[in-house]
Amino acid sequence: MPSVAVLLSVGRHPASGRARRAPLDARALEMAFSLPNAAVHAIHAGNPDEPALRDYLGMGMERLTVLSIPRDGDPVPALTAHLEQLSPDMVLCGSRAEGGEDSGMVPYLIAHALGYAMVADIAAVSASAATATLTQALPRGRRRLIETGLPVVATVNTAAPAPRQSSFGRARRGVIDILAADAPPDTLADQCEIRPWRPRPKRMRLAAAASAADRLKAMTETRSGEGAVMIQPSPEEAARAIYAYLVEKRIIGDGS
Amino acid sequence: MTGKRRDPRAERQARLIAGGERKRFALGAVPQPAGRPRRDPRSLRRAATVPGGVRPRIDWHGGARMAARPGPDARPQSQPEIRITADPAFLVLAVADHPGGALSEHDRETIGAARSLADAGGGAVAVLTSGTVEGLAEAGADRVLSVPAGHIGDYDPEARTAAVLAAIDLLKPRHVLFPESAEGGADLARRVAALSGERLFGGVASLSADAASRRMRGGAMEMAAAPPRLMSIAENAFAAHDGVRHEARALDAPAFAPVRRIGTVTPLAIEAGTLSLADADFILSGGNGVTDWAAFAELGRVLGATLGGSRVVCDEGHLPRDRQVGASGSLVTARCYLAFGIAGAPQHLQGITEVRHVVAINTDLHAEMIKRADLAIIADAQAVMPALVAHAKERRDA
Ligand SMILES: Cc1cc2nc3c(=O)[nH]c(=O)nc-3n(C[C@H](O)[C@H](O)[C@H](O)COP(=O)(O)OP(=O)(O)OC[C@H]3O[C@@H](n4cnc5c(N)ncnc54)[C@H](O)[C@@H]3O)c2cc1C
Ligand SMILES: Nc1ncnc2c1ncn2[C@@H]1O[C@H](COP(=O)(O)O)[C@@H](O)[C@H]1O
Repeated sequence: MPSVAVLLSVGRHPASGRARRAPLDARALEMAFSLPNAAVHAIHAGNPDEPALRDYLGMGMERLTVLSIPRDGDPVPALTAHLEQLSPDMVLCGSRAEGGEDSGMVPYLIAHALGYAMVADIAAVSASAATATLTQALPRGRRRLIETGLPVVATVNTAAPAPRQSSFGRARRGVIDILAADAPPDTLADQCEIRPWRPRPKRMRLAAAASAADRLKAMTETRSGEGAVMIQPSPEEAARAIYAYLVEKRIIGDGS
Repeated sequence: MTGKRRDPRAERQARLIAGGERKRFALGAVPQPAGRPRRDPRSLRRAATVPGGVRPRIDWHGGARMAARPGPDARPQSQPEIRITADPAFLVLAVADHPGGALSEHDRETIGAARSLADAGGGAVAVLTSGTVEGLAEAGADRVLSVPAGHIGDYDPEARTAAVLAAIDLLKPRHVLFPESAEGGADLARRVAALSGERLFGGVASLSADAASRRMRGGAMEMAAAPPRLMSIAENAFAAHDGVRHEARALDAPAFAPVRRIGTVTPLAIEAGTLSLADADFILSGGNGVTDWAAFAELGRVLGATLGGSRVVCDEGHLPRDRQVGASGSLVTARCYLAFGIAGAPQHLQGITEVRHVVAINTDLHAEMIKRADLAIIADAQAVMPALVAHAKERRDA
């Protein structure tokens, strides 16, 4: 029976700015539920009175541990100390938070402090007694199977299954266990200027064409191809030509 | 008592200023050519006129001068211009992802950002790669640090982290830049930051020698500070270096020993059928010229392509709506687009502007899709599809 710790942060709705469950962290929790008979420990470091935490309880947990730290405190030391005590087989996190600095550093710092293996951007997981098999999601739908020994810290990205709805009754009934923890204040924010994000114009790849007319054409017209044309070939000839082209451009591997 | 008779013509002639294409006369004192240079609209206009062509054409954006200049191909190949920074004030280290052994566009942008930092203070850009990578000089690298490819295979983030830390130790760069990419750059940057105990400024969206800024709080806010040592560069935020080649001098790679915790790694086959169009790398697309949808689906399975279609076929329900390619469907970025029976309406072609290789099969030689195609075949889609299925199976079995 593997024990899994899920680190949950408080998200922020992009339009209204209201606190909500962070979507990636909810996916991490969903992934923990998908492990057969795992003991799931949900942990948050922050304000225990935050109402958005109940959204996680509504996903079907009886308890949620909150390490109570001040608002501008660094959550990493408190989380590390707690996880050291708990010593879970697996720690699941979101790949990026959305309410704070959003650096995505928390999982890496925890893995480094505890000496756990670290795997980023996983879409699926299975675990046996001593190893975990993680499916890592890459751009363009590529996937990689990674086998590691336990314990391991893994971050979950958007390729993971979507989280279930939060049910109101369970959210009301769930219990929040509050543990006192201390956190050194995070000083980076004081050294930075913080201002509202101003959208910047999208950078366009300007063609270095000879004349304005050519540049306008490159911006607005569709590109025309190399233009190899076969007129009324037999179907077999056509099939051979297409297949050879796909192999040449390495779109498909040649079977032989 | 006759005074000297004035000769206005002669006086005027005496005041004529020689040179210049317009007649100009000096009134009063003879004007000094010194001082602020005068703008000469005529010569500006002449310089902006595009040579050749029947109609006079004027390009105020410097295009005419560019046209007059020989293109890059016409330049003598014997002496390409190379910029050499022999004794840099400091180094900026850029760590390239180079998925599949070639620089990605995001890598180029990262090196471009490193260039802007280096150029602002007389520094040089060093690029860390594994194995030999082409095109580093064009991308703007002054120094190249290449770790043996065997060490950093396809996926070995622990070895890469050790290599980056060793390179930082060796070069003592002022800044280290990573691409903030899912190919591995974002992961690597955070591993290096955690191991070295330095703060990472992740996903930098704007950067100059005295300020870097990144998004925070779910994208609503922005934090700015003087550029720290470790930064990762957001995609599409910086221009790649395009211009003069740099030296790309090879440096000796440092030795490093990774701490290994990750076990075996196996790449999985792509399940093309379940991919979204925007993610797909190879798309088989059908239009109104396709009637045999069973053969179409079979072809997609055999070739391992993601299915797409024009609006007409989605309207008719042959494919679900999320499979529509085009202006009102998905804009695709696939490497290859295999189009059966698609006419190539502008709304459809807008969806495939980013596609590298297009193959079109159509009965109409004058269809727009045929013009866009790199390989065009004038044939009946219903005959070619089964033939292609048979041919692919035959080749696989052979
Ligand atoms: C506002 C707006 C938005 C639109 N957005 C989109 C969009 O996002 N995506 C999109 O696709 N369309 C869009 N359209 C529609 C678009 O204008 C075209 O109508 C549509 O793309 C045509 O689809 P088609 O090429 O499949 O069909 P057709 O125009 O009917 O072309 C069929 C082609 O198949 C060929 N053909 C016929 N029989 C055979 C055969 N046996 N073998 C081989 N070839 C054959 C014909 O020669 C012809 O070239 C939009 C239109 C509007 C007005
Ligand atoms: N205060 C916190 N309490 C619990 N988990 C957190 C906290 N902050 C961040 N995390 C976890 O770390 C991930 C990355 O966060 P960040 O490094 O802040 O972007 C999040 O998705 C969470 O899983």
